[in-house]
Amino acid sequence: MSHARVCAFSAAIALAAWTMPGSAIAQERQVKITGFGALSGVVRSFGVNSKAALEAAADQINKSGGVTLGDGAKGKIVIDYHDDRCNAEEGISVLRRVASSESLVAVAPTCSNVAEPMFGIMQKKFGDAGDTGLQFPVFTDVAIKIGLAKISEWAFRNVPNETEMYGTLFRWIKETKPDLKTLYGGVEEDFAHSRASWYAVMKEVAGKEGLQVLGESKWLLNDTNFSNQAREAKKASPDIMAIAAHPFTTCGMLKEMARQGVRPKLLIGLTSSSSMETLQGCAGEAETIIIPTSFAPINADAQAAAAAVSKYNGSLDLHSGAAWENVFILKRVIEAEKVMAKPDTLQADREKIRAGLAKLAETDGLLGKTKRTPDREAVKPYLFVHAKSGKWEVLHTPSL
Amino acid sequence: MLDLLQSLADGLLFGAIYSLIGLGFTLVFGVMHKINMAYAAASLAGAYAGLTLIKLAGLPAWAVIPAACAAGALFGVIIYGVCFKLIPLSHPLATLMSTVGMLLLIDEIVVHATDGMPVNYPTFVHGMVGYGDFMLRGDLMFVFFVALVVMAGLIYLLFNTRLGLATRAVSQHPVAARLCGISLDHVNAVTFTLSGGLGGIAGALIGSAVGMLSPLLVAPLTVKGLIVTVIGGLGSIPGAIVAGLLVGAAENLFQFFRGVTERDIYVMLLLFVFLVFRPGGMFGTDPARS
Repeated sequence: MSHARVCAFSAAIALAAWTMPGSAIAQERQVKITGFGALSGVVRSFGVNSKAALEAAADQINKSGGVTLGDGAKGKIVIDYHDDRCNAEEGISVLRRVASSESLVAVAPTCSNVAEPMFGIMQKKFGDAGDTGLQFPVFTDVAIKIGLAKISEWAFRNVPNETEMYGTLFRWIKETKPDLKTLYGGVEEDFAHSRASWYAVMKEVAGKEGLQVLGESKWLLNDTNFSNQAREAKKASPDIMAIAAHPFTTCGMLKEMARQGVRPKLLIGLTSSSSMETLQGCAGEAETIIIPTSFAPINADAQAAAAAVSKYNGSLDLHSGAAWENVFILKRVIEAEKVMAKPDTLQADREKIRAGLAKLAETDGLLGKTKRTPDREAVKPYLFVHAKSGKWEVLHTPSL
Repeated sequence: MLDLLQSLADGLLFGAIYSLIGLGFTLVFGVMHKINMAYAAASLAGAYAGLTLIKLAGLPAWAVIPAACAAGALFGVIIYGVCFKLIPLSHPLATLMSTVGMLLLIDEIVVHATDGMPVNYPTFVHGMVGYGDFMLRGDLMFVFFVALVVMAGLIYLLFNTRLGLATRAVSQHPVAARLCGISLDHVNAVTFTLSGGLGGIAGALIGSAVGMLSPLLVAPLTVKGLIVTVIGGLGSIPGAIVAGLLVGAAENLFQFFRGVTERDIYVMLLLFVFLVFRPGGMFGTDPARS
């Protein structure tokens, strides 16, 4: 075969492949989703679990055919995960890098202290030509501090609504344990989520439910000595003690309370503490602590997802469960909005994803339907778990 | 009034932890006139390693102390080899930066090995002792006792043994010590092994007192260890003990009077007061001011 014939033959094949919908070349189109969160530092486990959940969900979608793109071609989801070290500057830097890449959307970040300033550099109002903020959709899985998505119309979250969860919890306590009248708090003062959860959520809703709030003891994220705080709690002698802190200091405080014989009738914990960290640190002292959470492996879907994530060396919990859900929600949005996933449609695709996420009124979650609010937040199904014999067990399922 | 006394007593006892960490910093500084920034991180790594060893070997809980001591000594030798022996000691910042690097490296290795999750640590001494509402923690009293024993042991070692003589000689005049046939390398390595072993014990006792280990402990213990070393007097063993107790007590009192959010401001102010009015620390000699 002459050289000219070979060239003509190759060109014909290439042309046929290019024009044929669903061809092998078209099937190789990539739908790039970037995750980022803490893969180092003391909250590394959050990033590890989110990464595993994103990869496991993408793998499941890809194995079942991938994502149908706007021109009918199939796209494979490609997950790329970066470390922001739970540091605001790092998070902003990662977001800028991701926005200048071919990524269509980000699922991030781990920490609220990263999410808040990061959303601040994004365009506040979509379509505002005078606002040169980043125009890149972010669909948060972990950072949970209330009300953050309202900062930018490019920010969306699939995190539990703590006001709703704790409101229901205190209502349930009032109904089932009417003899409990007083509440005392313990709060990690230098951690955004813990502070917001106590002052803006637990304290507020408990008061509205008729509980008398006696005050709060404060400590810092790195603290190791809780003698003063436990003594304050002992003096207050509350019926209920609510601890708005992460596992390390929650355990420290619980251990000191045990030493000093502080025994409230009921213990309540922070949403994020319904994890293995708390049980590894202080299973004995945390026994019976009640925590509202948006995930527990209580149905076949949740169990299958947990098994899939564990194959990627992660653990499915309320945070990584959201990462898993986000990938499936994004698949739905990409298909509904006819995203093309081509280099020349990158910004248009991002805008389509933003619009698609903004349109959602309801999404599918591992525990059931999640309602979407106009301010781009989620109202997820939730349940109450309590620590029992070193495990989290479901105590009550108010919204299922 | 009882609350104030209780807060003071709690702080004093908790300060024993700072004393143990301060001892390690001061021992290395006393001999080499260098700061080992990785000391607290290595101490906690020793405690982690000790716990892992006893779990793997199926040993009883108390065995974590000798196991952590051995692991800490090993880390001490490694730090000496990597951050001091291979680095030009004449450059004042070289070892400081190399040990900061080692601190971050050890910390991140622990974070990756544990995914940052806190690990429950065995408690050796349970219960409280006291009268009425005034109570003292048994485990912290044990830490306090160990700190005193370690201090006595170190003083004996330094002032009653040939090794101590060699160590003091190296500390006072390395060139003269070398002319007398003392191997600087050997003395420095032994110092790091000793301080590392002590760090392992300190790490295990800290884990026991806090009730768990977490990489979150590294930063505050490094900062407090350095403060204790400066306030006690760089290189002073009794100074580290007394300053540890002082910092622990002051910290708790500041928290009692001003709240947790202002506590560390006053601890840092205390450090500055010493740096300005007594730069040599409580037990050190005042360095000449230029």
